[in-house]
Amino acid sequence: MDQLTNVMTAISHPTRRAIIERLANGPARFLDVAEPFDTALNSVTKHLKLLERAGLIERQKQGREVFISLTAQPLREVAGWVHEYERFWNERLDTFQQYFKDQKKNKERKK
Amino acid sequence: MKTDKTINLKIERLIPTSPDDAFEGWLNPKIPGTPWNAAEEFALDPKVGGLFYWHLKATSHYGRFTEMARPNRMQHTWVSPNTLGKESKVTVTFRQQGQDTLMTLIHSDLPDTAEARGHERGWNYFLGIYCEQFASGSRKKYQWEEAHPEAVVKK
Repeated sequence: MDQLTNVMTAISHPTRRAIIERLANGPARFLDVAEPFDTALNSVTKHLKLLERAGLIERQKQGREVFISLTAQPLREVAGWVHEYERFWNERLDTFQQYFKDQKKNKERKK
Repeated sequence: MKTDKTINLKIERLIPTSPDDAFEGWLNPKIPGTPWNAAEEFALDPKVGGLFYWHLKATSHYGRFTEMARPNRMQHTWVSPNTLGKESKVTVTFRQQGQDTLMTLIHSDLPDTAEARGHERGWNYFLGIYCEQFASGSRKKYQWEEAHPEAVVKK
């Protein structure tokens, strides 16, 4: 899978988004990351592996402890993936669609 | 950054009208949502070989119509600073779907460059503040689903 797909996969799950949110507050130890979740530690480990594969987290050893930290760069790249014209055409077609919805409503009101 | 890599965009909407009305509507500058409707200045000659021009916020866009198959398909080229002066291609199709029309717009051969990507504005559209807060290093709390139910990845 390419980097974009890995990042999309990583942020597609609520638990992983919650982990990202937690790590946005600063690096944390594994048990601190896992603590808010009811799931098994093994499950959290799997989520962390997916985040690591996407390049969204890094593990750093500090003395006897391992701290997990957020790496935001891949998220920037995902954001940059959205093309100027994707935004433009979505806005245009939304407005165009809305115009015809309004027309239909007006016709139905007159009936 | 200059590159030969190109990307294609595909956007679809269900328009609550017939293909004929949607087709003609798309060429009517008076109808909100059409590219010409957004323009501060425009010229439009919607026939094969006809040209269009529109200008908005100090940016000019040009193109020539290459297909006009009423009421199902039209195609024109699209040149702007975001295409680095090269011709990209816009194909719009209109297909009856029940009482509505499935409108599909494909913008192809777009140069995939940093200039053409529109990062900042794209953020708000797609991943919202959620992504922006991490990219900018903000630490504020943010509830993804509550604030952006529409921001789930579109396929």
